Order: sequence, then C-alpha cells, then structure tokens
Amino acid sequence: MDHPILEIDHLTHQFTSGGGIQDVSFQVFPKEFILVAGPNGCGKTTLIRHLNGLLLPTSGDVRLHGKPVKSDITTARRTVGMVFQDADTQIVGDTVYDEVAFGPENLKMPCHVIQKKVMQTLVRLDLSLLKDRNPATLSGGEKRRLTIAGILVMDPEIIVLDEPFANLDHPSSISLIKTICALNQGGQTIIMATHDLEEVITCATRMLIMDRQGCLARDGRPGDLLLDLASHGIKEPCFSRMGYSAPPWQA
Amino acid sequence: MNIFTFHSGNTALHRLDVRYKTALVCMVSLALLKAGFAGCFVCFLVLSWLVYATGISFIHLAVQLKWFILLLGIMFITRSLTVPGTPIFSFFEVVITHEGIVQGTLVAMRFFLVMITGLLFSATTRPADLKSAAQWYLKPIPFVPEKRVAIMISLFLRFLPLILTQAQQVSDAVNARCGNLNKNPVRRIRYLVLPLLKKIFLAADSLCLAMDARCYSEDRTDPVFETGKNDMRFLGAGICLCLVMVCPFHIFIKMTFWS
Repeated sequence: MDHPILEIDHLTHQFTSGGGIQDVSFQVFPKEFILVAGPNGCGKTTLIRHLNGLLLPTSGDVRLHGKPVKSDITTARRTVGMVFQDADTQIVGDTVYDEVAFGPENLKMPCHVIQKKVMQTLVRLDLSLLKDRNPATLSGGEKRRLTIAGILVMDPEIIVLDEPFANLDHPSSISLIKTICALNQGGQTIIMATHDLEEVITCATRMLIMDRQGCLARDGRPGDLLLDLASHGIKEPCFSRMGYSAPPWQA
Repeated sequence: MNIFTFHSGNTALHRLDVRYKTALVCMVSLALLKAGFAGCFVCFLVLSWLVYATGISFIHLAVQLKWFILLLGIMFITRSLTVPGTPIFSFFEVVITHEGIVQGTLVAMRFFLVMITGLLFSATTRPADLKSAAQWYLKPIPFVPEKRVAIMISLFLRFLPLILTQAQQVSDAVNARCGNLNKNPVRRIRYLVLPLLKKIFLAADSLCLAMDARCYSEDRTDPVFETGKNDMRFLGAGICLCLVMVCPFHIFIKMTFWS
C-alpha cells in the first residue's frame, strides 16, 4: 500500500467560544476521493483548515509526508490546495488569467514558467477562452472552476474543497462534479467537505462522517455508510432512499 | 461594468507600456491646467480620436458622464455669475459677465478633458498593470513597501465593486422590512453601516485565509514590462501635445508660419 500523504493524529481543536473538533484521526492516501460529511457546525471546515496549517491544533498532530505541517507551512499550503466555500471573497485577480497566476507569483516562479503553467491549467479546466474576462462577470460554476484552477496551477498533491456546491444550480453542480471526478481519475487526491451528498457520493472512494460533537463517527466506503447518514443528521441521498445504487444521471 | 472599467482590446493604447501611459496621463492632466481655449481644442480633437479608436461609444460615454456634465454645467453657471467683469446680461442683482462666461467655459472644458483622459486610461489599462506601474514608480522611494502598496491597490480595485454590491444588498434588506420609512438619519446609518461593516470584515477575513492558503508573500514574482518603439513614439507625441497645449496659441501660430 502507498504511504499516506497526510496523517491526522488525535487532532483536537477547541474554540474559546465553544465547539471545534475532538480527537480526530485518519490518514489520506494518494488518489483517494474522500468526502467529509456532517451536519452544519460539526467542524468540517475546522478539520480541513488544519490540513494545510490555516489552523493549528489545540492538541494532536497533522503530518505531511511524515513531517508536522507546522514545521513547513509553505510546503503544506503548496501541497494541500484549498478551495473555499465563497468564491467571490477568495478571487483576488482582476482577470481570469491574473487570478490563476496569483499562486505561482507568490511562489516566485519565473514569468515564462507562470505563463506556461497558467495557460495549461486554463485549457485543462476549459477556461482558456475566458482568460481576459473579469471574474465578477463569470457564472457561479465558472467561478468555482476558476478557484480550482487557481489551486491546481500550484501542482498540489491534495485538493481540499469546502462545500463546493453551495449556491450552485443543478447544471453547474453536475459540471463541477465532472471536473472534480476527472481530476480524481487523473490521479489527483481530493478531499471534499459537504453536507449535500446527493450528487457526489457515487464518485467518492471513502467517506468520513462527523457527528455534532466534532468527533469522527464513521470512516468507510460511501456505499457502506449510506444507511448511517440519517442518524448523524445528514440527508440520505434520494436515490438511496428509492432503492437505487446510483443517481439516475450517473446510472 | 461601466466605461471606467477595463475594456479588453488590442488597440495601440491597450498595448502601450503602462509606465509610459501613466506618465502621459499625468503630463496631459498637468498641461490641461495651463491650457487655453486653443490648447483645449487640440487636446479635445486628439482625445476624441483616441476614444473613437478605442471603440468606446460616444453616446454611451455621454450617458455615463451625465451627472459629471451636470456638475460642469453648475460650475459654468457659478463662474458666469461670480467672476467680476463686463456685464452682458443683468436681472436685478444677478449679473452675467463676459469674463465669467469665458472662465467658466475654460474651467468646464479642462475638467471634462481631464475626465476623458482618465477614462481612456482606465478603459485601456488592466488593473494588474496599474498595480505593476504603481510598484515600479514606488520602488525608488525609500521606506515605502512598494509590493505591499501594489497588492493593496489591486485588492482595493477588486473589492470596491463587491463592497458596493454588499451595501446595496444590506440597503435592500433594510428597505424590504420598511426601513425606508424610518426618517431618523442616525438610525438609518446604524442599520446600514453596522451590518455592512460586519460583512466587509468577514469577507476580509475569508480573503486573508484564501490568500494565506495560496502562499501569499510580499516577495513575489516581479512584473515584466515590455517597452517597444511604439511606446517611445507615443511618449514623444504626448510631449508634443503637451507643449502645444501650454504654449500660447499666438506664439505657436507665429512659430509655425514664420518658419
């Protein structure tokens, strides 16, 4: 078996105002597609923000290739790319091109390398025709793809997505799922925090369920955990309740 | 999107090195302060041609600048009524003077042309290039963190429209609950400003996290400028235009026809 990219070891984070996560442990292996599911306020976002050192644990450890994340934050952030919930507040570029170039510029890559990588990434995510557009004029789905492009251009080993389907209509969600699945099939490790599993559960290889106390309640294959979802405050996918093994558009 | 936002294109102005463009805008704006009627007219012809070449619709321009044109009209009227000189019309205590009309027209023309110059600059310059130019100009100044200032300019340009949108959303939410019936200005400001500030701070917090997640550092790849012969030609033409504008027109005519 491959060595884990990330090891989360008895991770606890407590906020002074209450809440947080308690004693969470798991490992992330290459090419996995992990869903982190749970009701609102269970600590999904808190958990994933530890993966690249945006938050540091109260106790426990997060190790990247065996080394603590906090020992080299820049490497951790380059290796674990994060796409946030609200695309509008994380897009800093004035054009699609500039937005994708922001990360490589921070890494002080030479200009010709930045240009090449940005164009490759734009083509890969089907954004090349929009490269001179103002991001504010893009649709919700295009903005989400742009935020993924902004991460992908830095060659991360893991892409972490926080509630990527928030505020997206159904066609945009489906298009985004196809993009994410294609990335995963191309060897990209994906971690996705979401409470809406309907559209994505069949693409995932593993699912972590968090309970309201911020503990990791279950860890297993998505198909095996379908019947446990409702008891943890997560909506069971419609196809499962109707007795299907996959949503009709994927069947 | 309005005419002051960047319009993508491939005109000579779009391709012009942003450092030269910034210098030209400053020169023309300063020259306009000294320009007479003839200089303003020459500048007007040049700017009209540039607006046409850039593909900005004159009708769209007039519509977008309607409030500014109204302000110029008020300035013109004020000058006409307040500058002492030879009266050409009087009604009770109100006297319109010849000198007032001349000065009012000149001031309005100068302001209008400065506005058009700025508009051409903003419509043909990518905000990222503007940021790069600011960084380049600030670099020789000691104790000024030019990269930090540049990223602040960039973020300001990027987030100003977002803040305005959020202000409109808060205002709509207040009005949807009949907040518009409340005539107390302090209460109105309180219900508009406090939620808006909260939204802005939360957005700023998210932005900081997102920038941190993408390894934001002040030590970033420096912008690369490409200067060609066209940039030098534009600079030369701009300097000539400024000289024509500030040179008294009768001297200019004498120099032209005497030689």
